[in-house]
Amino acid sequence: MAERVLVDARGSFCPGPLMELVKTIRDVEVGTEIEVLSSDESSAKDIPEWVKKAGQELIGVEKRNDHWSILVKRVK
Amino acid sequence: MKIAIVLASGELEKLQAASIIGSIASTLGNEVLIFATMDGLMAFKKDVVENKSWKAGELGKGMLQANAPLFIETLKQAKETGNLKIFACGMVMDMLGLSMDEFVDIFDDKIGVTAFLGMVENAQIIFI
Repeated sequence: MAERVLVDARGSFCPGPLMELVKTIRDVEVGTEIEVLSSDESSAKDIPEWVKKAGQELIGVEKRNDHWSILVKRVK
Repeated sequence: MKIAIVLASGELEKLQAASIIGSIASTLGNEVLIFATMDGLMAFKKDVVENKSWKAGELGKGMLQANAPLFIETLKQAKETGNLKIFACGMVMDMLGLSMDEFVDIFDDKIGVTAFLGMVENAQIIFI
């Protein structure tokens, strides 16, 4: 089971959630999963784009009641 | 890719857009160089920042009310996490007799247009 880190960026606006993810992904070991919670819809769309461009792995995006959960794995 | 942003506007909406585009680009491995000049430089003056007295339209005022992360914070974060540098226009500072102390602590250097153009050869230039 991979280690998982939670980044709760609910209430933060673009580019807050993405920047939180960027900071976190640099600090964790390769193989770690990061779950970003964002109440900002544009971040929920833009984070997967960033993950693709940065060459990391997007495990999934899930819409919950009032926020999104974006699960990312550091692969390099 | 190397991206250069010439920031000549003091409007909050444009400052916000420039900082977001520049910071995200820097986190993707791009080298980002920002040249703050004209009103774009004056937006970084300590008194302007303290009083949040940027020129702002309806959207900009909404951003301030919503407590959105402001461009200064976004740029500082980008400097920590990515390859982003920001320069103050020497011409404007000399003309108005301003020193670095009068601006928030964000600039990598005070430079002239020739130095900036030398740095951004082969860069994609965005003028805001």
